[in-house]
Amino acid sequence: MEYSFELREYAVIVHVDGRVDESSWEAFGAGLSDAVRQASQAGVAKVVINLAELDYMSSRGLRVLTVAKREGDEAGIAMLLASPNDIMSEILAISRYDKLFTITDTIEAK
Amino acid sequence: MLVRFWGTRGSLPVAPTAEAIRCKIVHALLAADGRRFGDATEARRFVDDELSFAAGATYGGASPCVEVEAGIGSYFICDMGSGLRSFGLDSMRRNAEGHSKVYNFFQSHLHWDHIMGFPFFAPAFDPGATIRIHAGHPDAEQALRRQQEEISFPVPFDWLRADIQFVHLNPGDAYEVDGVQVETILQHHSHGSYGFRLTDGDGRTVIYSTDSEHKLEKMAVEAEFIHFFREADLVICDTMYSLADSVSMKEDWGHSSNLVAVDLCHQARAKCLALFHHEPTYGDEDIQRMHQESIRYEELTRNGPPLDVICAYDGLEVRL
Repeated sequence: MEYSFELREYAVIVHVDGRVDESSWEAFGAGLSDAVRQASQAGVAKVVINLAELDYMSSRGLRVLTVAKREGDEAGIAMLLASPNDIMSEILAISRYDKLFTITDTIEAK
Repeated sequence: MLVRFWGTRGSLPVAPTAEAIRCKIVHALLAADGRRFGDATEARRFVDDELSFAAGATYGGASPCVEVEAGIGSYFICDMGSGLRSFGLDSMRRNAEGHSKVYNFFQSHLHWDHIMGFPFFAPAFDPGATIRIHAGHPDAEQALRRQQEEISFPVPFDWLRADIQFVHLNPGDAYEVDGVQVETILQHHSHGSYGFRLTDGDGRTVIYSTDSEHKLEKMAVEAEFIHFFREADLVICDTMYSLADSVSMKEDWGHSSNLVAVDLCHQARAKCLALFHHEPTYGDEDIQRMHQESIRYEELTRNGPPLDVICAYDGLEVRL
């Protein structure tokens, strides 16, 4: 799993690829916390997580999303999921995370 | 080793309504599409082969009770939910054929849905029976006596004629009970709950882990459960909620999700997962959907040997 940040005028975009599972959830969680901090410092109101290049995300990764969403809520930063590929769309539906998060078709969610 | 499920529903026993049965019959008649069946065997084949499980059967509604046939002749039973009544009657039939009257219970915890079958457990009235109740809770006897006090039940605990013994188990210690190796682990649940690892003389292992919440902020401690589940032949796991429910509206309700169960079993390299402790508000179609989704999630996230994902129902037998 690898991730990178991109600061846009409306959000911090988190690009992530590979697998988020038992071996990478802690690094992914630290990255999301960092993204919330960067969004707060930059004065943007959103963190958008780009799911297009993920192989899959296990329950560990999904639960890290919840932890990060709570951190975002406390900082007044909204957390959005964007561009899920077919596998991630399926996992979001199976986990019912599509009911917990706003999911957008593209990362251009302004 | 043979695992027999007598009760698989969580929190509260349920029964299908008349309307639910009518819907199944209507569905079956429509699926048959005017076909004629020569006899009951032919009709049964149609039900088994051409109807889904939810359409042609039911997951049942008795609360948790699981029998494990193992060891050297005595009974092994996990929990005393409402399914215990049926087990008790069936065991008396087996006793009449010469089976040992020693009953080894392993109590996950003492909430009502896990002890409510005991007042209806007929062998407890047999002076020739021995009932050993293994529990991690020091107040197990108090819980069973209390539910038979006059305000709750007409037959007091002291009227029971069997030799009833309480055996305290400590997490981290290993025990040998009538030819079965037993280990236990403390789980996160109101008033605490305990999982059990039972291994027979042939090395077959079943895990019973119900009413166990895996907390969002304590994912690092899941390593203990992965070790406890290690290479088990069957893991019976609390899968009451969706993952989203377990971390939102139903957080701190003491239960887990199908996705966390699959992940723990994958990491533990367990061979088979039985979805268990079904949500009482779920109908058969809901449980079947959850089962299908769990199988799909296992496929999507598999990174090692395949995990067989089955869905427990009242009456299911699994031979290991």
